[in-house]
Amino acid sequence: MNRSARSTILLLAAGIALLILVALPFWWVVTGSVKAPQEIISRAPTFFPHSFTLDHYLRLLARSAYATYVGNSLIVAGASTLLTLLLAVPAAYAFFRLEFAGRETLYRIILLAYAFPSIVVLIPLFGMFAKLGVIDTLPALIVINVAFALPFSIWMLRSFFAEVPKDIEEAAIMDGAGPVTVLRRIMMPLIAPGIASVGVFAFITSWTEYVFASVLIISDAKRTVPVGFSGMIGQYQIDWGLLLAGAGLAILPVVILFAFVGRWFVSGLTEGAVK
Amino acid sequence: MAELQLRNVRKSFGSVEVVRGVDLSVASGELVVFVGPSGCGKSTLLRMIAGLERVTEGGIFIDGAEVTRTDPARRGIAMVFQSYALYPHMTVEENMGFGLEMAGMPKEQRREAVRKAAEVLHIEQYLARKPKELSGGQRQRVAIGRAIVRNPKIFLFDEPLSNLDAELRVRMRLEIAKLHARLGATMIYVTHDQVEAMTLASRIVVLRSGLVEQAGPPMDLYENPDNRFVAGFIGSPRMNFLPARVMAREGQADAVVSVPSLENLMLKVPLRNPSATPSGEVILGIRPEHLSPEAAPGAVPVRFRIEAVEQFGNVSLLHAPAVAGDGIVAEWRGAGRPAKGDVVPLFIDPLRAMLFDPAGPRL
Repeated sequence: MNRSARSTILLLAAGIALLILVALPFWWVVTGSVKAPQEIISRAPTFFPHSFTLDHYLRLLARSAYATYVGNSLIVAGASTLLTLLLAVPAAYAFFRLEFAGRETLYRIILLAYAFPSIVVLIPLFGMFAKLGVIDTLPALIVINVAFALPFSIWMLRSFFAEVPKDIEEAAIMDGAGPVTVLRRIMMPLIAPGIASVGVFAFITSWTEYVFASVLIISDAKRTVPVGFSGMIGQYQIDWGLLLAGAGLAILPVVILFAFVGRWFVSGLTEGAVK
Repeated sequence: MAELQLRNVRKSFGSVEVVRGVDLSVASGELVVFVGPSGCGKSTLLRMIAGLERVTEGGIFIDGAEVTRTDPARRGIAMVFQSYALYPHMTVEENMGFGLEMAGMPKEQRREAVRKAAEVLHIEQYLARKPKELSGGQRQRVAIGRAIVRNPKIFLFDEPLSNLDAELRVRMRLEIAKLHARLGATMIYVTHDQVEAMTLASRIVVLRSGLVEQAGPPMDLYENPDNRFVAGFIGSPRMNFLPARVMAREGQADAVVSVPSLENLMLKVPLRNPSATPSGEVILGIRPEHLSPEAAPGAVPVRFRIEAVEQFGNVSLLHAPAVAGDGIVAEWRGAGRPAKGDVVPLFIDPLRAMLFDPAGPRL
């Protein structure tokens, strides 16, 4: 396809505009976290820091419970991701392969779960969890996060399953593999990019979840990053340096996660299988 | 090696019946080719034998034991898919050994079995590679190797060569024939390519619309087809079919017909079925090689006006315009180069001609 120079320039400009929109806040957070307090709040903001200090980070780790929050968040997000994958992969495979009455209808209404804002289900869930005695526990958050991540994860994974040529599955069946073996040994390696995407999705939604974490968790020692973090914003003043350092560190696990699973996001995993 | 029997096998998808009662016996060590146009049910039939498709009605028996509802893996069958269907994340060795692993064979034995099969197919040097690092032909060998290594009772091939280029296809065809001779295994091979069917098969089964039209050794089908469909499907270039009119009956065995598209030529054509009573309109079938410049004893001359010539080097195909229905094709192996517009004398060998009822059956 031949694109005209004009449309290329337009596309490039749009791309750059989007990049600025997305990247600028990150730049502001990261550079702000190493600026001296006066520079952060100076009337004319500086694009490149004129001062450099790690003081905010040191204060954050030494004087606040930030490390505890990060630990809690890692437990909640890690467990939510793992559980989501453990449930979504077989469920998506079942939706894809098993033939049962109402399969298509069920598959379509699965995303209806997102029609209700979390605030709507918050109060009844709080009541239920209180009866179960799991208020102020991390497992409560894990259950909630898994429940919210699952529908989309199943929905997304099924389309990844559908991309695997049927012949490969049938070849495995002819080779004597049962459904679990076909799933584990043949299908899962082939939909690795899908599993990685769903994993990242589940991790990020859990990592950033605020509403449930702020209501279901009461004690400070069990707070996750978003909630603990909001506690740093004082009633009368905001310690911007501390806040930006906290925000910078909060991004870190997600960045590491992307770097770690990046190699799974490769296309052409099924290359060479058929034809 | 095993015997296979299909008894009144039927398959419906919803209200559409795609296999409509197939009875077939495949002897141990036979290479049977299912051939037919697309949608004739040949692949479905193969998949039912494999166990990948549920049989709607009828039974499948291997060595006398019914396997109609048996799991695919327990039928002792290996299948080579049209798309190869290799496991892309596994090496060639793992691909070939997967079935053995599933059967619980220890690793060392597995390696040995894979190595032996790889030797047969000349792919030993690729064992550590992944499928994407192989060429189409090599992938096809791996797919065949995966079948061989399991030492199955029956091999199934589902159009295994259709993704290869023409030259490679011819080579692999020969290799499959050699492999069959070497293993002596029962093989069922599906193709829509009648050349593959003719060259490979010990027996060809011609299918149309879910029914067996005719089954038999390739040359039987070629020389003695049961109906117009088989006569037209087997043989390349295709048999000429010319409308004709029965003028008289000569004794028990022959009919005299007049052929309007050949200037009302009168031919005495043998009848296969002496009790047939052809009358009125019939179809004369004559293969292009029986319409040639050489006069066989008893051959009848015709004037052939050339509309187009296809040259293949060793042979030329001459096309004459259609008078009614299809055009006429003749084979020219003689000296000289006939050209478009020429009128050349050709000879029809009436003993090799066939008559068909307009509805299809051979007369």
